[in-house]
Amino acid sequence: MFAFQYRKAKTLKDAVEILAKDDEAKPLSGGMTLIPTLKARLANPTQLIDINGISELSGIEVKDGALIIGAATKHHEVATSKVVRDALPALADLASHIGDPQVRNRGTLGGSVANNDPAADYPSAVLGLNAKIITNKREIAAEDFFLGMFATALEPGELIVRIAFPLPKKAAYAKFPHPASGYAMAGVFIAQTASGIRVAVTGAGPGVFRWTEAEQALTKSMSAAALEKLTLAADDLNEDIHGTREYRAQLAKVMATRAAAALA
Amino acid sequence: MDHHHLFDVGGAHLSRLEDLRLIKGEGCYAADWNLPRQAHAAFLRADRAHAKILSINIDAARKAKGVLGVYTGADAVSAGYVKPLSMLTFAGKDGMKARLPNRAVLAHERVRFVGETVAMVVAETALQAQDAAELIEVEYEDLPVTVDPRATLEAGAAQLHDNVPGNMVFEQEAGDAAAVEAAFAKAAHVTRLKLDCTRVAPNPMEPRACLVAYDAGSGAYTLHTPVQGINMMRMQIAAYTGVPDDKLTIRAKEVGGGFGQRSIAYTEYVAAMIAAKALNRPVKWVSTRSEGFQSDSHGRANYIDAELALDRDGTFLAMRLDWIADLGAYLHPAGPVSPMRNPVTCLNGVYKTPALFGRWRVALTNTVPVSAYRGAARPEIAFTIERLVDESAAQMNIDPAELRRRNFIPKEAFPYKTPTGSIYDIADFHGVLDKALKIADVAGFDKRRTISEKRGMLRGLGMSTVIENSGAGMFPKDEVLLEVGSDGNITAFSISHSQGQGHETTFAQIIGDALGIPAERIQLQQGIAEKGLIGNHTGGSRTIVGAGTVCHIAAKKLIEVATPLAAEQLGVEPSQVAYAKGEFQSKESSKKITLGELAAKKPLSVTGEGKFGSTYPNGCHIAEVEIDPQTGVTDVVSYVTVDDCGTVINHAIVEGQMHGAVAQGWGQIFGENIVYDTDTGQLLTGSFMDYSMPKAGWIKDITIAEHTTFGTISPLGVKGMGESGCTASLGALTNAVMNALRPLGVPPLDMPLTAHKLWQAITSAKKGL
Amino acid sequence: MTTIKMTVNGKSCSGEVEDRVLLANFLRDNLNLTGTHVGCDTSQCGACTVHVDGRAIKSCTMLAVQADGADVVTIEGLAKNGKLHPAQQAFTECHALQCGFCTPGMIMTTAALIKDNPKPSDDEIVHGLEGNLCRCTGYLNIVKAVKRAAELSK
Repeated sequence: MFAFQYRKAKTLKDAVEILAKDDEAKPLSGGMTLIPTLKARLANPTQLIDINGISELSGIEVKDGALIIGAATKHHEVATSKVVRDALPALADLASHIGDPQVRNRGTLGGSVANNDPAADYPSAVLGLNAKIITNKREIAAEDFFLGMFATALEPGELIVRIAFPLPKKAAYAKFPHPASGYAMAGVFIAQTASGIRVAVTGAGPGVFRWTEAEQALTKSMSAAALEKLTLAADDLNEDIHGTREYRAQLAKVMATRAAAALA
Repeated sequence: MDHHHLFDVGGAHLSRLEDLRLIKGEGCYAADWNLPRQAHAAFLRADRAHAKILSINIDAARKAKGVLGVYTGADAVSAGYVKPLSMLTFAGKDGMKARLPNRAVLAHERVRFVGETVAMVVAETALQAQDAAELIEVEYEDLPVTVDPRATLEAGAAQLHDNVPGNMVFEQEAGDAAAVEAAFAKAAHVTRLKLDCTRVAPNPMEPRACLVAYDAGSGAYTLHTPVQGINMMRMQIAAYTGVPDDKLTIRAKEVGGGFGQRSIAYTEYVAAMIAAKALNRPVKWVSTRSEGFQSDSHGRANYIDAELALDRDGTFLAMRLDWIADLGAYLHPAGPVSPMRNPVTCLNGVYKTPALFGRWRVALTNTVPVSAYRGAARPEIAFTIERLVDESAAQMNIDPAELRRRNFIPKEAFPYKTPTGSIYDIADFHGVLDKALKIADVAGFDKRRTISEKRGMLRGLGMSTVIENSGAGMFPKDEVLLEVGSDGNITAFSISHSQGQGHETTFAQIIGDALGIPAERIQLQQGIAEKGLIGNHTGGSRTIVGAGTVCHIAAKKLIEVATPLAAEQLGVEPSQVAYAKGEFQSKESSKKITLGELAAKKPLSVTGEGKFGSTYPNGCHIAEVEIDPQTGVTDVVSYVTVDDCGTVINHAIVEGQMHGAVAQGWGQIFGENIVYDTDTGQLLTGSFMDYSMPKAGWIKDITIAEHTTFGTISPLGVKGMGESGCTASLGALTNAVMNALRPLGVPPLDMPLTAHKLWQAITSAKKGL
Repeated sequence: MTTIKMTVNGKSCSGEVEDRVLLANFLRDNLNLTGTHVGCDTSQCGACTVHVDGRAIKSCTMLAVQADGADVVTIEGLAKNGKLHPAQQAFTECHALQCGFCTPGMIMTTAALIKDNPKPSDDEIVHGLEGNLCRCTGYLNIVKAVKRAAELSK
């Protein structure tokens, strides 16, 4: 790694101030993406501001029909929290399949969402549930948050504080893991929300997106059969040595079918 | 004398003697060595596949914090470290000698693969060395790139070395071309396959590392590196550097996996010698995994056009091969030898095919150099034969087991001389196959397939019956030294060096069995240069045949040597002394003396030795798979192995070796694949993020059974089996998948049979494409 | 350079490190605890697994400075008073190690797994081993060892 200075922020205000003063400083949450990036010498920050211990970023609670999770909450905590398993089991299930056990003991919700890796799992839940991202400055709707590969609506130095997931009637997540990296080659989060069925697909494209055709089909009938005749358009999907865009379209469909079957 | 009794230590709970320190984290691997005043090296590597080096500017690097020295190709040339050892010393077609490229340990004038060592920085800390390496400026002039193994031999391909015209290092032929031609001419059926045995990365879990020290007074070097045998490493380092054997000491304790990747004098180790001498400080280097993908030897990369001629009832008349071995940009010492020698040795496999012919060519490409990988081309020849057999069975509508039976070398025919001159000592192919068919319940397969189909799944069954040569080694003999302690415990020394095979246990079992004392009282030490022993490295499944047998010989010799000493102490004639369980007793009286008591009076040690030829482990593996046509994912629902590895010293260790080797075969068949960009030669699979390693859950269970015929090469009756799992699994798994897909009209597919590839093939077939 | 203090295997330890030094290297190079191994650089192989504040984590993906004030347990600290931890005992009983390089990480993951889940099913074990790679054993005996470790822990 390139050399940098490490600082532990005690409060959210601390962290925001340091980041505002130094545009080459980076916040460090779980580090499960940032530290490997630094090891590969793909980033050269001046400072790492550790935001893990900040109390304003912690906590899991249900309030006003939403599950509110602090940005520094680890995947393991979401996966095993009784509150989450009771209120939104699909989210606990999703979290339990992120990375591996050791990664889940460090990686955080806020870190994952702020990074917006096209193959990360959480963005599908955030978009699928129409969650609200609450930062130190404002609230951002899921629709407005994800702007493309590794790009979000967050301004420089803006930190996610917590995410509010409106509780759905029911939800399910199905993921086809990449055989090498374990990331999602296609991960589909289906939610029966107050405003209708939402189908959010991660891993297959440059960023998470809603599969509106599937939403319409599942609205008519929540079943695996409803999706049988559909094909996800492959044009904008990812293609690499591990799979063509057509294959990813197929995987997204199969995962959507599995999630729908779980909700049928 | 019958030594074929079972060595079974019994019970489900066997602990290996080497385990205790390893489970406590007290093992010493290559990166765990440290010496006072050590400095740290980092390498700058080529970031492109083929280019002239126009200039290297090391000024900024030299001045960086903590830097002690910066070295480039000029230093390698000055030192004379430019010519690695090659074991490709035998003549090829029309008497040709191999065209051996030079390789300066730091690139000189040209780089020829992404990852090639270009410069070395040595600094006080590893971090400082890495920081400084980034400050080196290299000006390159790009050259055209060649990475396709077949295209590289064709006219117009970019040329890598001036002394290797057409990128062809070596060509050989074996067999009888005329007889084969005649057989094909009258064949009722010819099966043809174009087979790609892909390039993979052995990836032992321990990354490479070295710690190299130089003693100015004596001019001697000590190198701590991973090894598969210290003598093999020393031989290669001596050849590369001109430093004589007696000025080189190789040290190694634990080796974290080998698989053929360790037995190489890598350029990093040799480059470190330059710095250790120049700075008069030990130099330590630890590879990262990403560096390893670009610099550790790759494996397999054999491309074979194969044909089998059969008569009307499926008798094999002849087999013909055209084989290209892609060895990468430079030659490792043993790299080309495996594909040149091993397939010829087992060219007929387990069959009595009378006419065989093959042409082999060693090709160079702008890729990481290739060397032996578990099986060392024996998996590839077995795969080739078993794919031909299976496709023939399908094309001719003959049951695959029956087709094999018709062509097996019968039990009565051993020792059997093959058309290429190998002598298979002893085997029972029919017995092995029948046992496997029964255990795998092949008879019930059709029913199971119907059930799978009802669930929308495809199901296939595939088998492979294979044989391979093991045992022979290139060193003059294997020696094992036994030293008796005054407590009666034995310390044994050997050159053969375990990288996970459990020698400390199996050797102790063999010695203990011969001496009649518990294995726990015998401690094996490997890689102790001071004992000056001769011996082969551990590879080629030879150790139990070689050093293992010599353990027995040494133990017997110890009794022989100690008997007159005991007789003297007991005051009787040697003929009046009987030995049992660590003690000598006078037949006349009840006077005894133990080995330990003898050793306490006078140092007691013996060196046993032996040299053994080839023996032939063999077996049948049967795989059953279920494929999800929606995703292309293959689930191996059953895997049965019936192996004849001769006498089994330790069942748990044999099973463990089989598990690991089958896992590696599975890995290669279903996902492992080193991929290079054809235009730029950039490595696209440079980390575990893109290179699919097997993980827990890849299979639920493997059923392992034995069908033993005692090898005749070693008095222990052992045959070795460390690589068998690879040799048989490539064919069994591929045949199973093709069995599932063939009914859909899917043509023969190449590994890796990834979910993606299978889904595409199934989808195309369904569309009638 | 930053001075850090942590408890490692029950002992208070301190050292001076650059902020970019990984916990794995601090343990190996500063404290001479070489039982923790580094097998990759993409945080996948798990050979570097240790326990920090009671949770299994990859020490190659954590900075030493992040562990300031933490309670760290490495493979060297598992056995208590010369008595092997059930995970260690199980691994050797089940022939779940060959070269031993991945083993410290496997054992640390196993110890954490059976603590969280004292009666794991085969599927839960496989899921729990996703962060640990082995090249030698083919994993079958490792899965058996995790089951055995759970039994021995009762």
